[in-house]
Amino acid sequence: MVLPRRKANRMQGLNVPDVDFETTWGVLEKAFLEIHTKNASALSFEELYRNAYKIVLKKKGEELYHKVADFEARWLSSEVRTKIVATITPPLQLLTEGNGGRLLSSTAERRTAGENFLRTLKQSWEDHGVCMGMLTDVLMYMVKDRVYCTDHRQPSIFAKAMGLFRDQILRSFDRPNGTMLAECLTKVILDQIQMDRDGEKIDQHLIKANVYMLEGLYQSDQEVEEEKLYLKMFEPYFLETSAAFYREEGERLLKESDAGTYCKEAKRRIDEESDRCRSTISEATTSKIQRVVEDELIRHKMKGLIEMDSGVQYMIDNDKLYELGLVFELEARVDPRKGELTKAIVKIVQDMGLAINRTAEVTSAAPPTAAAQDDAGEEKQKAGAARQINQQTVAALKWVEDVLALKERFDSIWKVAFNSDQTISTALTRSIADVINAFGRSSEYISLFIDENMKKGIRDKTEIEVDATLEQAIMTLRYLQDKDIFETYYKKHLCKRLLLKKSQSIDVEKQMISKMKMELGNSFTLKLEAMFKDMTLSEDLTGGYRAHVTRLGQADAKRVELSINVLTSMTWPLEAFRGAGEDEREGRSNLIFPGSIERIKTGFERFYAEKYSGRKLTWQTNMGDADMKATFPKSRNGRPMTHDINCSTYGMLILLLFNDLRADQPLSLEEIQTKTNIRESDLKRNLQSLAVAPKTRFLVKEPMSREIKAGDKFYYNDNFSSKIIKIKVGVVSAGNKVEGDKERKETEKKNNDSRGFAIEAAVVRIMKQRKDLSHAQLITETLTVLSSQFKPDVNMIKKRIESLIEREYLERIEDAPVPSYKYLA
Amino acid sequence: MASETEYVTLVSSDGFSFVVLRSAAIKSPAIMRMLDPAYGFAESKTNTCHFENINGLVLEKVCEYFYYYQKHKGAKDVTDMDFPIELSLELVMAADYLDSRDTHQAGFIYI
Repeated sequence: MVLPRRKANRMQGLNVPDVDFETTWGVLEKAFLEIHTKNASALSFEELYRNAYKIVLKKKGEELYHKVADFEARWLSSEVRTKIVATITPPLQLLTEGNGGRLLSSTAERRTAGENFLRTLKQSWEDHGVCMGMLTDVLMYMVKDRVYCTDHRQPSIFAKAMGLFRDQILRSFDRPNGTMLAECLTKVILDQIQMDRDGEKIDQHLIKANVYMLEGLYQSDQEVEEEKLYLKMFEPYFLETSAAFYREEGERLLKESDAGTYCKEAKRRIDEESDRCRSTISEATTSKIQRVVEDELIRHKMKGLIEMDSGVQYMIDNDKLYELGLVFELEARVDPRKGELTKAIVKIVQDMGLAINRTAEVTSAAPPTAAAQDDAGEEKQKAGAARQINQQTVAALKWVEDVLALKERFDSIWKVAFNSDQTISTALTRSIADVINAFGRSSEYISLFIDENMKKGIRDKTEIEVDATLEQAIMTLRYLQDKDIFETYYKKHLCKRLLLKKSQSIDVEKQMISKMKMELGNSFTLKLEAMFKDMTLSEDLTGGYRAHVTRLGQADAKRVELSINVLTSMTWPLEAFRGAGEDEREGRSNLIFPGSIERIKTGFERFYAEKYSGRKLTWQTNMGDADMKATFPKSRNGRPMTHDINCSTYGMLILLLFNDLRADQPLSLEEIQTKTNIRESDLKRNLQSLAVAPKTRFLVKEPMSREIKAGDKFYYNDNFSSKIIKIKVGVVSAGNKVEGDKERKETEKKNNDSRGFAIEAAVVRIMKQRKDLSHAQLITETLTVLSSQFKPDVNMIKKRIESLIEREYLERIEDAPVPSYKYLA
Repeated sequence: MASETEYVTLVSSDGFSFVVLRSAAIKSPAIMRMLDPAYGFAESKTNTCHFENINGLVLEKVCEYFYYYQKHKGAKDVTDMDFPIELSLELVMAADYLDSRDTHQAGFIYI
């Protein structure tokens, strides 16, 4: 750019004459001093600006920069520092120099002194900021001179000035060998915060301003984000003292208050700290201090908190849902898996479950001893025996109800207090399952529970209630491991309900089956459904037979009606009606029927054979019952009365014998047995109910004793009297009750047998598919396949495999690296 | 009179006064800071800025530019501002002094 000479004089306005650096700087320095003493109004910005402009144009920018820096350093180290140091009064000195400071001076003293110090520091900082803002602006032309700044790698004059504040103020000492001012600051702030935590009022803005200063300064002039003074000189100490404080506070709270208060306190403290970060210190610390408080008040104390006297156990015992919720919330903060709480809950559930199991065992075991003690009089003992049966059933019902109540209770706690947490839900399910499976008789008891409800419980209940009950039963089933055992019991109980017509509603029974089907699968209910089918078929059959008889024209008044159930022998657990495991095959088949009954029997056999050829009917007389009409001469206040008697087939046979006799003619036990061919034990049982039981004493026994012995004589009871028209003779062992030990063993043995088959079937199925498989793999696969039915014993599987090898279904692979088997087709 | 007035006075080295809208004048960071009441320099007290190294001719053009800029701020396809070619250098120097960097670009760039 070449300018015409004549135009050069036009530029004299901007043309800078020779500038004397020292004089110009002198003007500036004097002005700066004015600025620092807040006398800027006397100064012309333009003049200062112009002076700086001149210096820079003369390429003296660097010199100016250093001059300014020197000037600032001098100012800060003399004026400002003195002012601040003056505020460090004895209470603060005590605080900053030793740990005993808090004890030696009163809070009020320290607070005032601290606030004074903080205020002065804040004021100095703000003044410095404003002045430096003005200075930088005046020196804008120098600042603008980027070439200079970047070339020399110097921080901007503003940053430099900030650094000077750090070096000259914060990093200086209050007196030789004293404390660094920054350290004083940190300690004072911490002290103030401590006061705040103790519930005293402090000036939050003052602290915030100082913290803001620390956040605005850096360790070095490079201004690295991670090297903020706040992060280096304050935050670590803050976190450290907070940790110490809360550690102590937590321990004190654990000792002094109950768990509920602790939770509330902890929650309050956490909120308070995050509030404090917002109002008093820096938001950047929020997450860190939260973590510290959580560590100290929750993570490290959770175990102690849960195990307190007033801990989780107490809360659950006393339904302190709100407090439980607090515990949950606390734990959830620090551990998404809620390990401690889950552990505690699981333990409590298991303890409570154990108590339920134990109660059930005690109740079911107690009555026999009670009955044994009270042997005064036959009545009582009889009642005792009845009670024993009852007691067992009651124990079973109570057990199931207790378990359900337990689950219910924890479900509601879970919903209300635990925010329906997934992890805890899993743990709860597992522990309830543990409770159920830890109890040896759970399968039986659950089935009994259903049985009881089917027989009595669902009476007077609405459909919805019934459904709820069924749902509950299904729920316990869901937890049950040994479903096959349950099936056995259920079949047995269902069988009795159906045959003895004890069930309240067949519809509900079917509903139950369909629920099981949904829950446990098709194969589980196959046999149960078959039982229902047999029942329906039998009804048709009975109707058909009746029609058939009518057609034959044998319908006379005295004819005996027959109602029959034809049962498929494989699906029905007929042994439920037999005496425990005794072989009574001959006893049944050789029963002697009187003519009228025998006719009916053969009549139906013929009818059935016509309908279904090739099927064999076996009469289960031990399961039948009979309705009879009998007249007793003195029944109703000495006048004759006809009663409808319902008794077992055996009872009927016995009573029919007395039809042909005179009233005073006795029959001995032996005679009755020869005439009927009823098995002795059954006979005795039936005679007991006919001749001993007070309400159904149709016969008189001689001698009058409770026991039926050989040689006893029986008479027709002339004097029988009862107000009731319909009399039901108690059928011994008709009700579903808890099994005796012997029965139990029987069931177990049977169950083990059927499990054996199931295992073999599973093994063969797997091997057929895989051809060869290692031992370990085979075991695992078998376990998986069978898990829906029951949890097989590994030893049992091994035995079954052995047996399969013996029978040449499998063979061992000789030279395999791991034990393996091969399928032999 | 420390309050912010609507108009401020800019005075040239040769004594010419230009009364301009404050909002237009503070286009220059230097002027903006001079007049900032927070700092409380003499200029902000009197709402008057003296420029010892800018003459009336140049300052007039600078003021014209302030208005020109305020008027066309953000608009597209604005016709360039006219200025006498002989003032170019002085204008550039004044722009530099007042830190009106945009001045270079908007009007004086093609000297």
